[in-house]
Amino acid sequence: MMRWCLSFFLFGCLAVVNALSSSGNRLLVVLEDASEKSLYSTFWSDLKARGYDIAFESPKSDKLSLFDLGERAYDHLLLLPPKSKGFGPSLSPKNIVDFLNKDGNVLLTLSGKSTTPSAISSLLLELDLHLSTDRSSVIVDHFNYDTLSASEKHDVLLLQRPGQLRPDTKAYFDGEGVLAFPSVAPHTLGDNILIAPVLRAPVTAYSYNPKEETTAVEDISATGSQLALVSTLQTRSSSRFTLLGSVESLQDKWFSATVKAPGSGKETNTVNQDFAKQLTAWTFKEYGVLKVGKIEHHLAQDEITAEDLNPTIYRVKNETVFSIEISEYSNDKWVPFELPADDALQLEFTMLSPFHRLKLEPAYHTENSTVFRTQFTVPDQHGIFSFRVNYKRPFLTAIEEKHEVTVRHFAHDEFPRSWKISGGWVWIAGLWSVIGGFMAFVIVWLYSEPASAKVKKNQ
Amino acid sequence: MAESSLNVLLKGNTGRNTRGLLRIIILGTIAAAAVSSRLFSVIRFESIIHEFDPWFNFRATKYLVQHGFYSFWDWFDDRTWHPLGRVTGGTLYPGLMVTSGVIYHILRFLTIPVDIRNICVLLAPGFSGLTALAMYFLTCEMSTSPSAGLLAAAFMGIVPGYISRSVAGSYDNEAIAIFLLVFTFFLWIKAVKNGSIMWGALTALFYGYMVSAWGGYVFITNLIPLHVFVLLCMGRYSSRIYISYTTWYALGTLASMQIPFVGFLPIRNSDHMSALGIFGLLQLVAFADFVRGFIPGKHFQRLLTTMIIVVFGVALVGLVVLTVSGVIAPWSGRFYSLWDTGYAKIHIPIIASVSEHQPTAWPAFFFDLNFLIWLFPAGVYMCFRDLKDEHVFVIIYSVLASYFAGVMVRLMLTLTPIVCVAAALALSTILDTYVLATPGPNPKAKVVEDASSEPLRSARKPDVGVTSYLSKMVVTSSVVVYLLLFVAHCTWVTSNAYSSPSVVLASRMPDGSQHIIDDYREAYYWLRQNTPHNAKVMSWWDYGYQIGGMADRPTLVDNNTWNNTHIATVGKAMSSREEVSYPILRQHDVDYVLVVFGGLLGYSGDDINKFLWMVRIAEGIWPDEVKERDFFTARGEYRVDDQATPTMRNSLMYKMSYYNYHTMFQGGQAVDRVRGAKLPAEGPQLSTLEEAFTSENWIIRIYKVKDLDNLNRDHGNAVAFDRGHKRKRATKKKGPRVLRTE
Repeated sequence: MMRWCLSFFLFGCLAVVNALSSSGNRLLVVLEDASEKSLYSTFWSDLKARGYDIAFESPKSDKLSLFDLGERAYDHLLLLPPKSKGFGPSLSPKNIVDFLNKDGNVLLTLSGKSTTPSAISSLLLELDLHLSTDRSSVIVDHFNYDTLSASEKHDVLLLQRPGQLRPDTKAYFDGEGVLAFPSVAPHTLGDNILIAPVLRAPVTAYSYNPKEETTAVEDISATGSQLALVSTLQTRSSSRFTLLGSVESLQDKWFSATVKAPGSGKETNTVNQDFAKQLTAWTFKEYGVLKVGKIEHHLAQDEITAEDLNPTIYRVKNETVFSIEISEYSNDKWVPFELPADDALQLEFTMLSPFHRLKLEPAYHTENSTVFRTQFTVPDQHGIFSFRVNYKRPFLTAIEEKHEVTVRHFAHDEFPRSWKISGGWVWIAGLWSVIGGFMAFVIVWLYSEPASAKVKKNQ
Repeated sequence: MAESSLNVLLKGNTGRNTRGLLRIIILGTIAAAAVSSRLFSVIRFESIIHEFDPWFNFRATKYLVQHGFYSFWDWFDDRTWHPLGRVTGGTLYPGLMVTSGVIYHILRFLTIPVDIRNICVLLAPGFSGLTALAMYFLTCEMSTSPSAGLLAAAFMGIVPGYISRSVAGSYDNEAIAIFLLVFTFFLWIKAVKNGSIMWGALTALFYGYMVSAWGGYVFITNLIPLHVFVLLCMGRYSSRIYISYTTWYALGTLASMQIPFVGFLPIRNSDHMSALGIFGLLQLVAFADFVRGFIPGKHFQRLLTTMIIVVFGVALVGLVVLTVSGVIAPWSGRFYSLWDTGYAKIHIPIIASVSEHQPTAWPAFFFDLNFLIWLFPAGVYMCFRDLKDEHVFVIIYSVLASYFAGVMVRLMLTLTPIVCVAAALALSTILDTYVLATPGPNPKAKVVEDASSEPLRSARKPDVGVTSYLSKMVVTSSVVVYLLLFVAHCTWVTSNAYSSPSVVLASRMPDGSQHIIDDYREAYYWLRQNTPHNAKVMSWWDYGYQIGGMADRPTLVDNNTWNNTHIATVGKAMSSREEVSYPILRQHDVDYVLVVFGGLLGYSGDDINKFLWMVRIAEGIWPDEVKERDFFTARGEYRVDDQATPTMRNSLMYKMSYYNYHTMFQGGQAVDRVRGAKLPAEGPQLSTLEEAFTSENWIIRIYKVKDLDNLNRDHGNAVAFDRGHKRKRATKKKGPRVLRTE
């Protein structure tokens, strides 16, 4: 028995050590044609080298199921475009959405060579990613194509690696070199705020259906940088979904192809392998995963004991300190989270609407986390408030912390005493003078009575 | 022999003692009857707190017993009025809770461990015994006849008008307040009669207790000054009145200001201004009285006229200026609705929506007071015949309380004591005149003898009636029959109308056996056991106290309707479309929504019937977003069937009430048994809420508020996707398409 436990324990340790991903290493690759597997051999070996336990399944297989007894059977899912009309019942859009909702990560690839099945189109519609109506367009660019392989069709796009999306985000996909994307199925983005585009088509590109006979393209739905090649989406529960428009770009052939852009005349090697690694690493949560450690709030005082930490009740106008510990998963370990230069982590102190919105400053670092802290005065309003940290940025998993505390009014014995308020001295003097006057009157009254009685007698 | 021993017992010194002992025994029996007739609910159901408000009082009492007096005083309640919270310690009348807390600690000190719940349940019956006693004292001050006091005590003990608010389990402020009201009036009469500072101070003391126990103390605050004012107008000023009133006013006002909830109201609120005004007037009258001793008549007249004009002018200008500048608060809304019964309905729907604040229907007077209601005018008439200071009090009280009881149902409670007094006065006169079996050989002489005891008009004529045994028999026996009928009526009313806890509903099965419908408790305990301790429950405010007390979950609004806007917010959430309601629910951290639905059982007190009040209250704050007219059909009908307006059918309340209801009828047409309406075949769809719990008879339905969609979809779309509907591409809008490029 002991041995069993021990061996399980060691096995578990081994699994943890091996996996580069922060959320498990079970990867399911759905591939319709087993013969195509060899076309991507470098890609598979790259993934295996990073500790993934790859299972290849055909969408038609009976065994194929994303779930086992209601739990996820895999941590990650990589879908290669099917030749037939769809992925079959076990990979219906609903199942894939359920997989995402259960924190599974999905990398979906498309190809411009075949018509994308309507099931995938309706799945993407749920995510607010849109394909063209005929679902079989490819991107064509007459200025950024590979002259060596697509001198006729102009459908192999040559692009620079993407840099930062916005100044306040981290660049997870940058680097030197040229990427080649053969026969890309383009998509356009909806207004869903969870979507973050990685790579867009150049401004000179447009989408075109090679199967249509018409020579002139009429009624173009989207052109130029409206077309996206690679886009990502993080759900609210921080599972990740990546859409890659060109599955061919993952093939061995394009991992180390020599390409030549028109005009420049210089031949270069593609860096597709590196980009594929970045893309899978991000999708399978090797980068950009944030973890919240300890959250502490307490009154601003010199000595803090364990009982003073995280009280459930504050009083109005208390000085309060709030701190939050955040780590970032990078490659295979948790490291202190560093904010991008132009970004700020904010604390809100909220009741219905924020009463305070404060910048959390990094106070100190531990070995694998940064502690952010701020100090503020509780507003002069009683009620049920909450400390909220809501940090949602493209490519980083969301932080949404909400901690309720009660802010009470002054208790009857917490006001300053009357004599300490100089403005009240007038009233206090008035009060005591009335009391003194009454006492004096009573005494005078009491001791003057016999005299009057005497006077009466005398009369 | 027997007669002589009876004479020994009834006459002389021994006789007085015997009568005293008899009186004590009778009073004890009355108190016992008062207590025991209030125990129907405990015997029928169980020892349980009733209704709505008592649940808050019970919860507050538990807090007091658990945390001690000072933390009760400073209690900030974070489990009601989420997220505003309530400064409960400063916004309640603590008298009731402190009373039960003291009783609890005394019993513990005497090593009698009693559950605080039982003290709370039995507090009202216990105090009703004391009320009967206080009533005896009060009536004894009004009449020389000893039977009047005993009769009044007996009436007070069992009259339904008072029982309605004091059955076992009805742990409300009125439980002790009526005792305090009667006893304060007794002390006041005593003070006026004796002109004694001691009685005045005692009046102030009990007035202070009354202030700490019930908002109805304003009745005393206005009745006593009115009494004094009327006496002054009758030219009955005396130093007795001066002493008793100034003592009461000075000490009583100070005492009332010690209650945090009252605070500075006695000098700032218009409701209290009459007491202050009379206090000032009394000083002036006393001064004038004093001056009269020194100045000859003609000069005095002139001085008096000038003084009156000047003082009234100054006082009026001062009052107007202070009211306009806001130093004195204007009259409260409840006060206005006392004078104009239509006022609340137009201006303050929250007050009008409470059934207790509706005008009284006339049968209610007979129902609550039985034959006392027609003895009442006779008793008032008796007071006119013997118009001493205390009788003036009875008359004023009767007039005022009759009016108020006609305006608001709940004020029947303040009318009841004076009805008992007046009826007892009338009945005791009848009995004293007729019941004594001695033939009375010379009725004329008897009249002369008893001139002070004011026999009835019929008795004045020596040759009519009273001498004959027959007329005595007839009158006496008919009175006895009335009394018996009264007892029977009281018992019947108590047992049938006022002993239902309203938390538990009782109904009769076809075979006559009792069937208990316990949906409320079922649902509240479901909440208690299946939701996180901090899950916020939104419901209409009626159920706030019960959820707080039984389910122990934070609520958004409750029966302490201190924040009209917050209630209107809940009303808006209930009466709007889901798309409008959902952000409101999210903003207020609502986890569960609770609605009461009586359609299956025919339970008419449900939320759809209260719905128009929610709409009205919401409309008061957001007249552009919620409109009452939209809930009525073109013909002005309030309907729930397929003729219902779209606004009605899309409102959250309608959807929550009828969600899945048609599945109960398995293909047949769903019928709402309260409103007698046939419902549409297709039930309403909910997308932002999901059904969490429905009680056995569908009375309580609880819905869980969904989180935001994981993929940031519209909830309607997400639900449609889960059902397997294919989403259509967004239809092309006119104008240039804007695509995301950032």
